[in-house]
Amino acid sequence: MTLQQKLDDFKSKFESGAPPYNAPTAVIEIFHRATEELRQSGLAERALKTGDRAPVFTLNNQDGNPISSAELLTKGPLVITFFRGHW
Amino acid sequence: MELEALQTALPDIQRLGASLVAISPQLEKYGRSIHRRLNLGFDVLTDRGLQIAAQFGLVFTLPDYLKTVYVQFGNKLDEFHGEHAFRLPMPARYVVDQQSVIRSANVNPDYTIRPDPSETISTLEELRKGKG
Repeated sequence: MTLQQKLDDFKSKFESGAPPYNAPTAVIEIFHRATEELRQSGLAERALKTGDRAPVFTLNNQDGNPISSAELLTKGPLVITFFRGHW
Repeated sequence: MELEALQTALPDIQRLGASLVAISPQLEKYGRSIHRRLNLGFDVLTDRGLQIAAQFGLVFTLPDYLKTVYVQFGNKLDEFHGEHAFRLPMPARYVVDQQSVIRSANVNPDYTIRPDPSETISTLEELRKGKG
């Protein structure tokens, strides 16, 4: 299964309202509304895109050690994934 | 799910000479727990106050009606992020070349849609070819 198939699978289970998630219809509608509003805000179109310069950063990793993007880029290309969190 | 998929793709990413980092606004202790639970071979970075996500133009504030639902479900973003505001980054994946230029960008306001890691691998392969 591809990543998107897994995501679709989870979504359809969640939105069925069945266990283990038991998501109420009202809640699902709220998620849809929020996603739709975010889409219509056009924020994604204004984010950095191909051809733009990437900001330089130094952030702490899971062990509290600072990781510098500039240093990683001396070794090769850098893949950055922004995620919301695992709740 | 995306982090697991990227973990699976990590050997290919490294084979192509690239590094991978994951960035979220969650405080270090939460990053540490994900890192352990998923047994990740790449760093999970804490973007405190979403400062870097903001520089990429990814940050939005949850509308009040959504915040209410998060709170009801015990999803305490303020605690996870160490800030009062309920803000999140749009999920995004970037490939940056050694000149700091973004070579692929995938940003989606719908968090249920994510690019396959194979797309990222293809970009890295093209970059390597270009270097030739």
